[in-house]
Amino acid sequence: MADHGGSQHGIARTSRVRTEEQRQRDLGRIAKYRELEDQARALASRGEHSTPELFQITTKLLRLNPEYYTIWNARRRCLISGSFSNSSAGSSRSKGSSTTSATPNTAPSSAKCSSPSSATTPPGPGPQTAGKSGTTADDAGDEASNPIENHEATPTPAEAKAPAAEATQTTEATEAQDLSVIKSELAFTIPLLLESPKCYWIWSYRLWILEQAIARLPARQARKVWEEELGLVSMMLGRDRRNFHAWGYRRHVVDQLESTALHGSSMVETEFAYTDSMIKTDLSNFSAWHRRSRLIPRLLEERGADAQTRREFFNQELELIHNALNVGPEDQSLWYYHQFLVLNLVSPNQPNPTTPSQALIVPDLPLADRIGYLTSEINLIDELLEDYDDVKSIYEALFEYRLYQTQLEGRQPDEREKEELARWLGKLKQLDPMRSGRWADLEKEVGLGVYM
Amino acid sequence: MAQSFSQLPEDLRLVKSAHVTYIQSLDSRKDEYDYWLTEHLRLNGLYWGLTSLHLLGQPDALPRAETIDFVLSCQHETGGFGAAPGHDAHMLSTVSAVQILAMVDAFDELETRGKGKAQVGQYISNLQNHETGTFAGDEWGEEDTRFLYGALNALSLLGLLELVDVDKAVQHVAACANFDGGYGVSPGAESHSGQIFTCVAALTIAGRQDLIDKERLGRWLSERQIAGGGLNGRPEKKEDVCYSWWVLSSLEMIGKTHWIDKDQLAAFILRCQDPERGGISDRPGDMVDVWHTVFGLAGLSLLKYPGLQPVDEVYCMPKSTTARVLGH
Repeated sequence: MADHGGSQHGIARTSRVRTEEQRQRDLGRIAKYRELEDQARALASRGEHSTPELFQITTKLLRLNPEYYTIWNARRRCLISGSFSNSSAGSSRSKGSSTTSATPNTAPSSAKCSSPSSATTPPGPGPQTAGKSGTTADDAGDEASNPIENHEATPTPAEAKAPAAEATQTTEATEAQDLSVIKSELAFTIPLLLESPKCYWIWSYRLWILEQAIARLPARQARKVWEEELGLVSMMLGRDRRNFHAWGYRRHVVDQLESTALHGSSMVETEFAYTDSMIKTDLSNFSAWHRRSRLIPRLLEERGADAQTRREFFNQELELIHNALNVGPEDQSLWYYHQFLVLNLVSPNQPNPTTPSQALIVPDLPLADRIGYLTSEINLIDELLEDYDDVKSIYEALFEYRLYQTQLEGRQPDEREKEELARWLGKLKQLDPMRSGRWADLEKEVGLGVYM
Repeated sequence: MAQSFSQLPEDLRLVKSAHVTYIQSLDSRKDEYDYWLTEHLRLNGLYWGLTSLHLLGQPDALPRAETIDFVLSCQHETGGFGAAPGHDAHMLSTVSAVQILAMVDAFDELETRGKGKAQVGQYISNLQNHETGTFAGDEWGEEDTRFLYGALNALSLLGLLELVDVDKAVQHVAACANFDGGYGVSPGAESHSGQIFTCVAALTIAGRQDLIDKERLGRWLSERQIAGGGLNGRPEKKEDVCYSWWVLSSLEMIGKTHWIDKDQLAAFILRCQDPERGGISDRPGDMVDVWHTVFGLAGLSLLKYPGLQPVDEVYCMPKSTTARVLGH
């Protein structure tokens, strides 16, 4: 089953033999780490979440090991019962912050066959090395040592904050306190994210903190906090343009910024423009193409686009992808997007109950025009063969789209077309023997046996 | 197909005994810093290791009694399991616990010495979002189709699927479908092989494969095989052994494993072995870990590589276990 970070992705295999000195150094690090763990467990089991001690230990531990989800949870509990004002009981999301702790036994017992180096979630390679992140326990708390943290308001570290024991705070004071905690927590996680950009727990903790902003701050202030978050996502996507954590996070942040809770309005135009800029930087970025495909239906609806405007928009998208295919016809990302556009022509006649209809851009296009578009796409792709006669994706598209065309025309392929399909399929078999099973299935399905 | 494996180069053979030794050694590394840094994965690691050993035909290579003791020591009053004693309960470790207990045939001990099946079922069902049908990982609310799959996986093994709204969960998975036939982490998210596995397996457990666009999905999945034989997780990404499982098992569930080159994939996985010390890595020459080891072995098992026990493509456990527990 799926799991969270820490596997050995992309780390060169080396001899596992350590020198005695290295071993001693490891033992020292282990002792320090386990001492922190013991302290954290002792404090947590006594319910001392409102004391600064436990909070400070979570800071140290999370810098050593940002995958330690139990410690992220302890930190949340510290904030709820300590640093945050009590005006808003708990988080809006949490269903209750008390868990019964497993066993009072704190000694990590003998895990049979535990993994010293394990795992990630299915979604992609996990963080490079859990534990490399952060600084040593000794300088934990030294916020200034992290240059990135200065990028935005970095107020007093939450560590320095006394637990909110005073019950008689004014609303303004509690809000200021909560804002300061929120900003401090957001700043705390940035260096951890930079070090482990695929660590689920950091992203989810960050979202939890942002939700505290909605629950605890006036909408105007909360909105500002969430707006700044877009900058962080853009920075993360600038470092890794395909990081699906960051893309998912971006979607979530935008959803919230559009919500009434944050006095929001649609951001579909700016988000669409963002995919533009990401695609221009890197045509291969399927994450950006995907996002674009998802934004378009809403974009057109909100623009109140009429049939003519929709057609013009569709033409522009086709032109964009043609230009891209002209320079990179091997790129799968481009072909998937082309497929998305073509499905817009095909799906009204091909109601597939299993896939949502893609007739979203030009839903009212007359059948004759759809056939016209498809024919012109086939011709354009065919022209690509002049420069790239050994690119498999071209033959695959031709094959698929020709079948769509005959389907739209409500007929079976004629003899000439069958010969042509067989020729394309022959090229596919030749250029892409890896998927010969698929080509064989296609041959049978379309009845091309005698033409091959 | 099995005979074609004999055409693999001589040095490309499964080093079974080295893998067994490697897995047995994993708990003896307490003087390594990484051992402690990965404690939050202990129960998952046990599941990965034990599954590997079962597939290697050495199910008793880890002591059964200690295995059960350890699993039960991770359980909370709520019924959920943490990754190790002292770690908070989470869906992922709870699913691993159920899978381990299923493999060692110890649900009765869960009843007598643990908090009981019903309590585990309760813990899981409490994590379902009644509005959307999806599941959270724990009380803090992170939602993901991984957790939805985990819930259906564990509950079906426990015979407690009726505790949750399966139809709602199915609707949520359907909402995660994309135009390319794949599925993402949530509605609107890009298709990703790992999430496709969780969504297709969840639909399979729910008996709703009719919702899958098998042609389109099969095409997308088969395009994950790249030069060198390995599989990647998304278009234009690098290959990685763990996708030998996510992609291949998904292809198996929709009956299309013949859409990729099995021999080349087997060769790629075998090249990722550490032939001396055992274990499998993400790519040839990298550090091994138990996560890539199990998914490499499970992939080879699905490819019917000789000498491995058959793996269940939905549960990533030995078929003998799912046959016994689910009565297939």
